[in-house]
Amino acid sequence: MARVWFHLIIGLLLLSPVVFAEEPPVPPITTSTSYSLGPVQVGNLSAAPIPPGNPQSGAKIELGKKLYFDTRLSKDNTVSCATCHSPSMGWSDEGPTSKGIDGQRGGRRAPPVSNSAYNPLQFWDGRAPSLEEQAKGPIENPVEMGNTHQAMIQTVGSIPGYREEFLKVFGTSPVTIDQVADAIAAFERTVVTTDSPFDRYAVGDDGAMTPLEKKGLEIFNGKGHCTACHWSGHFSDGRFHNLGVAQTDPSKPDQGRYDVTNDPADMGAFKTPTVRDAATRPPYLHDGSEKTLEDVVRLYNLGGGPDDANLDPLMVPLQLNEGEIKALVAFMTRAMTSVNPEVSNVKPIPQSELPR
Amino acid sequence: MKIIGYTLLVLVGILLVIPDTSSAIPAFARKYGFNCNMCHVGFTKLNDFGQRVRDDGYQIPGQEGREKNVFQVAPPISMRTSTGLMVSHYRKSMSSSFTINGLDLLAAGVMHKNISFLVIYTPRIDEPAGDYSGPDDGANPSQLGGFESANIVFSNLIPDALNIRVGRFEPAYHPFSSKRSYYLLQPYEVYTFTTPNNDFVFDDNQLGVEATGHFPVGFKYGVGVVNGSGGNPDINNAKDIYANVFQTIGRGDGQTAGQRIGAFGYYGWQPTTRVGWYVGNEGSTDGKNNVGFYRVGGDVSLNWRTFNLMGLIMTGKDDKKLNEDYPNADYEFTGGFLRLDWAGLPNNRLAASAMFNWVNYPPSYSRPGLSRTGSGLVRYYLGDWTAVNIALHAEYTYREVVGGDEDHSAAMFIDFDF
Repeated sequence: MARVWFHLIIGLLLLSPVVFAEEPPVPPITTSTSYSLGPVQVGNLSAAPIPPGNPQSGAKIELGKKLYFDTRLSKDNTVSCATCHSPSMGWSDEGPTSKGIDGQRGGRRAPPVSNSAYNPLQFWDGRAPSLEEQAKGPIENPVEMGNTHQAMIQTVGSIPGYREEFLKVFGTSPVTIDQVADAIAAFERTVVTTDSPFDRYAVGDDGAMTPLEKKGLEIFNGKGHCTACHWSGHFSDGRFHNLGVAQTDPSKPDQGRYDVTNDPADMGAFKTPTVRDAATRPPYLHDGSEKTLEDVVRLYNLGGGPDDANLDPLMVPLQLNEGEIKALVAFMTRAMTSVNPEVSNVKPIPQSELPR
Repeated sequence: MKIIGYTLLVLVGILLVIPDTSSAIPAFARKYGFNCNMCHVGFTKLNDFGQRVRDDGYQIPGQEGREKNVFQVAPPISMRTSTGLMVSHYRKSMSSSFTINGLDLLAAGVMHKNISFLVIYTPRIDEPAGDYSGPDDGANPSQLGGFESANIVFSNLIPDALNIRVGRFEPAYHPFSSKRSYYLLQPYEVYTFTTPNNDFVFDDNQLGVEATGHFPVGFKYGVGVVNGSGGNPDINNAKDIYANVFQTIGRGDGQTAGQRIGAFGYYGWQPTTRVGWYVGNEGSTDGKNNVGFYRVGGDVSLNWRTFNLMGLIMTGKDDKKLNEDYPNADYEFTGGFLRLDWAGLPNNRLAASAMFNWVNYPPSYSRPGLSRTGSGLVRYYLGDWTAVNIALHAEYTYREVVGGDEDHSAAMFIDFDF
């Protein structure tokens, strides 16, 4: 018996390096410390994080707004940021996936710009570490704006009105791609929705939500398991999960986060979107495959989509009944829809009013 | 008299509805900001998500190393107790008593990535402190409390496939946790059944080392080496061993979704000679002349909507040297239970359960040979979206030993934790 114990103890000692070894370096998941540890309770949004390298100013935000709505950023002057991230469509588009120049359709749905300032990583696969980096991507994407950074800079730099504004905001000339990205990102950081019935309920206004919506919130934070990923004031963990969604084109599978990390655990995983204002921008999921919020809840109720290959371990059937589904949808539909006038009243700037 | 007793029960039930709800939440829920029902069907029963968190060493699967550890949260201390009125009818006499039905003081959390702990201290509460007059007082004078659990978990030594738990823990060979059962009066009878001259109680938490693992195909295993009696120190120098396997068909872990079947086995050694209970350097006593015993069984957990049907059958055999009644024959018994749970109302605010237990042992022995128990309960949970951590609990149980006694018990409790 003593011999058995001797070997058991030796075995455990041999295993100990596995436990105590220095963990391999993992790329930081976020520059925002609020997302480094979680989950944390859902609640009100704090102020949007502003990176030290791109401080906000009124002139920069105004410049960014003009660029955001300017189709001249695209190769054929037909597509602006707002084409796929339209204020009237919940800062996304009609979907199911987005349409770029020459009517080309991309493989993924346009993520909302509203509250994107709170995302630690941008794009569905998190390939951009900041809004500034994100803003540069679609300009060069052949399916989206189809331009080059150089050509776009030449176009913007050739417009006297823009030249003047860039000089005023950044104090240097000529216009650079970084300045364009900084200005657009500065504007996007103002698109923040903080005033929903839930926000008022969370600070003590008991009448802000209906009894059904309150039931929905309870299920959202309980039996529905929603806050396992949709947590914090942003209602998103900023992380990546595989929901088992069937591939639109199995011959060209969308590998999601895996394309960025090459980590098999990330195969088919996509970033958790915020639930805030979700009702304003159907359809849902990275490929727009679910038409309504109720469809999304029913997908989760089954424990995810049909693809089991790398299903997230958090996905389990929920056993929600019809009443619970109705309550969850009610909570996400009205109680999570904001009425911030500075965001909901944003109107596209007509091309004729843009700098000339 | 019976009518008065049941009327009293109803009145107490009404009174129990009156207390305000508490906004406090237990340590894990407090850490994450979750409602209790994130991890529980209704506390205390774990749902599939909660089971996966437990299997992952109290970490949310996939978020290891990216959640707050014990040094980054408020002290992870929780408490659970239940109090209420219990009425018993035994041998044609009825008694009733207000009672506190146990107290658990819990601390648990993640210490570092993939290293976590659980401690449950259960102080003795059978009489007020003022009545305690020293070690000669009471039925269990040797201690004033005990550690139901005190263990460290090293998770994901091989991702998902190897987790090691060391200390005192609820062993993996319990297919259904009695510690997280809704039932406050009625245990799983075959778990608590003891045989003559054998200290082993299947229901006890154990001291030792356990390895567990789970795989994406729905397979789980557990193996362990333990003292055997749950005691500290061990009652002999021979360690007991066990193993269990589960297979879940369909998505889920068999707690609230998926269909699960399993098997378990335990082999132990029990001393037949004990001289003076001397505690040796190794922490074991001087129990000698060990003889073997085993417990084996199978279990099934079936889920449909919010119904969960659980079944377990177990057989046990002790060496004849442990059979004080008939020393020429091994002591054999069989038992099991069938339990049906249901959850209803939004967020599972209402839970109901019915259970049938039986244990069958050789009728020729001096003790009667068959016990049967029928039980039922209803629980209603109070609270808000941050926590539903107060349960109004009504439970009834009827037990008979064929050819022997029968008794009825009914209770109304308020069960709460924070």
